[in-house]
Amino acid sequence: MENAIEVRGMTKRYDGQAVVNGLHLTVRRGTVFGLLGANSAGKSTSIEFMLGTRKAESGTVRLLGQDPGRNRRALMERIGVQFQEGDYQQEIRVEELCEETACLYRNHADWRALLRRFGLGEKERSAVRSLSGGQRQRLFIVLALIPQPELVFLDELTTGLDARARREIWQLLASLRDQGLTILLTSHFMDEVEALCDEICILRRGNAVFTGTVEEAKAHCGCTDFEDAYLMLSEDEKGENA
Amino acid sequence: MKRFLTLLKNEGKLSIRDMNMVIFALIMPLAVLVVLGILYGRRPAFEGAPYSFMAQSFGALCAISICAGGLMGLPLVVADYRERRILKRFRVTPASPALLLGVELTVYMLYCAASMLLLAAVAVPVWGVRPGGPLPAFLGAWALTMLSTLSIGLMVGALAKNSRQAGVIASVLYFPMLIFSGTTLPVEVMPAAMQRIVALFPLTQGITLMKQTFLGLETQGALTPVAVMVLVTAVCTGLAVRFFRWE
Repeated sequence: MENAIEVRGMTKRYDGQAVVNGLHLTVRRGTVFGLLGANSAGKSTSIEFMLGTRKAESGTVRLLGQDPGRNRRALMERIGVQFQEGDYQQEIRVEELCEETACLYRNHADWRALLRRFGLGEKERSAVRSLSGGQRQRLFIVLALIPQPELVFLDELTTGLDARARREIWQLLASLRDQGLTILLTSHFMDEVEALCDEICILRRGNAVFTGTVEEAKAHCGCTDFEDAYLMLSEDEKGENA
Repeated sequence: MKRFLTLLKNEGKLSIRDMNMVIFALIMPLAVLVVLGILYGRRPAFEGAPYSFMAQSFGALCAISICAGGLMGLPLVVADYRERRILKRFRVTPASPALLLGVELTVYMLYCAASMLLLAAVAVPVWGVRPGGPLPAFLGAWALTMLSTLSIGLMVGALAKNSRQAGVIASVLYFPMLIFSGTTLPVEVMPAAMQRIVALFPLTQGITLMKQTFLGLETQGALTPVAVMVLVTAVCTGLAVRFFRWE
């Protein structure tokens, strides 16, 4: 079976400064892949290049074996996306946002069941802006899952969620992964990455400085704690968190 | 089709909840109608005129909602969705720009139609306003005026960098046209010099044509306004779809 994501030599510069520099990524189907790095290391930008919403200078991307620049609409039937700062119409209600998203896909999930699974069953008729930060975050994960995707992008997965909600989300995502879903996520929480990710890639100023498993990262740095290994890998020589 | 109708239902609900268009496209034209009705009643438009002042004003009143929707509502909602990154979210779905623009366009067309029906529902029984010419001719002029004005709004919304820029452009287009192209202030009461200047507004052409067709007057030289409006519609819609910005 082909890989879910293949990125080869993706490069983009702004004012001579590389935002993403020759990135290579392979995400196998049915795995969880963590794209890590400090703020402005190039994570969100890389995701936008992968989705084709921004154009890279060079390099190729294959999502589910297809070029996202072509056949965008057919490909997007099979992909779910949660952007870092998801936004919504001012006055929209939860059920309306779900319905509006679902109607775009030929083969969408039962969003009411998804809302219940994510603990939002009672919130169907609430205005989205009246939700708490954590509830809104969960809603945007639900929106990304409505297409019944084969591949889902989750940017800053559990930012704003409390400890219990995060655990619940991990369990839900792990069970979806076991059913064959491929997940690419970014996160600043290393416990989450350790619990969920089969493989990771750490970016530093647009360069991939490490690709492999969490265990390999720890071994590579000689650390017992993954967060120590992550900090060692993601920091600049000067010790600044770039 | 189901996509289109679901989006239309939701966007329509959101727009009504927002109230702006309800006020500017439905209530305001009705208020102007009532004020004119109280002032002029069933009096003829001028001494010996075969039609009343109210009948003469009907076409212009129908243009208020067209103006509000096309030059305020439509460009602002599209620009706002871009700024709030709602369009960015749609971009990673199977939706096309044409679907989104089509839905918003339809929302505002429905406002314009609702406004016209509302005006007729009051003007016909209360002040005895009747079309003096064939109704299809008037409806044709109305549709053309609406489409050409909405297409300007569509273009502004599709191309504006952000909602502030769209707001400025919308105001620059909306207020002069609303005041001077005969929507609220009848062109007939303006001094001759001013009439010549306002004739340059595209909306003035549409209103004049609506007025003539409604009253059943000679539509001499109707070809020019029709040609201008068709051209505006084609150019603006083409530019909007071609240069649509998601972000």
